[in-house]
Amino acid sequence: MHPQIAAFARLAGVNTPAVRAIEGQKTLISRTMHGFYYDGPHDEIVVMSPLAQAILVFRGGASGEEAPIRVIQGPHTQIQGTPYGANAIVTVDPVNNEIYVPSVPDVLLVFDRAANGDVAPKRILTGKSGAINISGQTGVGVDPIHNLLLINGRGAMFIFDRTASGDDKPKAVIRGPKSGMNNVHEFQVTPKGWIIAGGGDFAADGGFVGAWSIEDNGDVPPRWKIPVQQLTGYVPYSVVLDPVHKEMMMAAAGRSNTIRPANGIMNSVITFSWPEIF
Amino acid sequence: MFANRIKGGSLTKRTIFWGAGIVALSLAGYYSILQTWLGSPRLLSVQDVGESCYRASHDESLPPEEQNLFASFHEPTVRADDANTVSVDRPPVRNIWDTDPVFSSVSVDTVRNEVYLQDSNRWSIRVFGRTDNAKPGDPPNEPRRVISGRTSDVQFNSCVWVDPGSGDIYTVENDTGDSIVVFNNKATGDAEPLRKLKVIHRAQSMAINDATGDLFLSVQYPPQVDIYNKLAKGDDKPSRVIEGDKTHLSDVHGLAIDGKNKRLFVNSWGAVSDYRVAGSGRFELPSIEVFGSDANGDTAPQHIIQGAKTQLDWPGGMSIDADTGDLYVANDMGHSILVFHGTDQGDVAPYRVIKGPSTHLSYPAGVFVDTKNKEIWASNIGNASATVYPITANGDVAPLRMIRGADENKKSLRFGKTEALAYDSKREQLLVPN
Repeated sequence: MHPQIAAFARLAGVNTPAVRAIEGQKTLISRTMHGFYYDGPHDEIVVMSPLAQAILVFRGGASGEEAPIRVIQGPHTQIQGTPYGANAIVTVDPVNNEIYVPSVPDVLLVFDRAANGDVAPKRILTGKSGAINISGQTGVGVDPIHNLLLINGRGAMFIFDRTASGDDKPKAVIRGPKSGMNNVHEFQVTPKGWIIAGGGDFAADGGFVGAWSIEDNGDVPPRWKIPVQQLTGYVPYSVVLDPVHKEMMMAAAGRSNTIRPANGIMNSVITFSWPEIF
Repeated sequence: MFANRIKGGSLTKRTIFWGAGIVALSLAGYYSILQTWLGSPRLLSVQDVGESCYRASHDESLPPEEQNLFASFHEPTVRADDANTVSVDRPPVRNIWDTDPVFSSVSVDTVRNEVYLQDSNRWSIRVFGRTDNAKPGDPPNEPRRVISGRTSDVQFNSCVWVDPGSGDIYTVENDTGDSIVVFNNKATGDAEPLRKLKVIHRAQSMAINDATGDLFLSVQYPPQVDIYNKLAKGDDKPSRVIEGDKTHLSDVHGLAIDGKNKRLFVNSWGAVSDYRVAGSGRFELPSIEVFGSDANGDTAPQHIIQGAKTQLDWPGGMSIDADTGDLYVANDMGHSILVFHGTDQGDVAPYRVIKGPSTHLSYPAGVFVDTKNKEIWASNIGNASATVYPITANGDVAPLRMIRGADENKKSLRFGKTEALAYDSKREQLLVPN
């Protein structure tokens, strides 16, 4: 419909308009931007243009109909999505200067952060050993402190060495009924090693945002959880953290005809105070 | 180290002590990037100095520990299964959402004098009187009826269409529903649909050719136009599909059918790729492809409107003046309604443009030409309104009437589907894509 990236003040509330928005033809953005990244050290916004198999990099303060400063796109990139999911998700490791793009068939493509144009990935990890079945909608995150790469798919959190490639196996997998691990587009890892991700049975009103440890393996319950669906009626799609104010923010939207918030408002960003995880 | 942790081992105080000594030599090089990074939810890497990177307790140059990732090394990481799950039941501290409708599409029932506005923020169809008018200072218009709810199956609705013959109401479900849901023209509340048709993901807009009974459905990606019988239901398949490299279609949005001149107009945003071919993506300028109304398969358009003169900028809904064959385009990012001759092609300027502060156009995503009453309707996602103009309008003209779903100076959040989020720690802003 209108695929903007709108920026809201941290303290914005109900009906508070955006302070700026990246939008319009020249931006090259399109719908299905399900996971993207603000790269603080380099002050850049990195997002997929899902329908064009492209990675777009904007200035951090980009506004209006502003073109990206770099575009990674072309035959050498090997970027490929599905007809349903396209290429929706990207994340960045700003310390090791790498961009991660889940793609089909069952691969995670790793690019140089400063790449531009039709460039080949510098590293490729397959999901083969973990039977992950990576696609353009698979959640991915990098923890450069503990040198870990995390992939969230099929109701599991797969934990790899950060530089895993080829058919390398995950070091650990958190999944199972006690874990409650579910899938979200974006999850986070805190300095203490807490994985902040989505869990619970969304269809049974049990959706939560939980905190697991990077040291966990197997069917391990979260140390903490915020039962966001019971508290708000919304299911988590993505979570981000603000460690300065010790807050967790959740993007949530109507998920289906049966999983829809009772207040009738289908789009929201909800902030929780969560000092325990920082 | 990781293997030890997996087995339940944790860092010892002795390791921390020796690590602190080593880090003193290495920390300076990382400090500048650390400063930039503090306050961000994503973390710095310290892997170059290995496991032994811990803060020297006497280092006064570092920021407060609660903002410092090195604080995390003062105690071993807690394994989640060391304790029972603690449920944190505090209510949220803030919500960003829009309580008002976002009007993404408009259609007029000229027989019953009603206006249907598609509200994609609250998953509803709002029905107003055709001559309803909120003057300056008036409160928002109250809809006559609202169709919404689980039984109605209205969800992520991108296009509303009134069949002038039957009066049936069609709603295209763009994402979560992947369907066309049809109601009778008296439907209200959580109404039972007359029928549902399962369609492909990312269906965007539709129009019906009165002469043939064909229902044309645009699909954003993979880009295509699917043609059904207007009474299709369930798992019925399209009788024709316009799809393929020759079609020039990409990220398809608006669609309009000119039954009299047998033309089908489809607009594309220019995000191109073949999902079957890795790295096949490219960008092109936005365009309007013009096909014969009987086009089928991988067919080249009869002509294409494309280029800088067209002013196309995220073109949304389109509508035909059946009397003249003129094509009206809701030009979302241009805050304008563009009018082309049905025979235009190439890099051609619209021969009329409705645009300017007097128009109250704000991100118009839908347009409808009411030839009976000689009016043009626009649905504005930017200010929760629908605005009406004379059919001959040109330039910065004030609307004849306005239906407002919100207060007069409303600035919509323009939310479509908020699935992702990033935090700009430098500006303390939340970045929210649709």
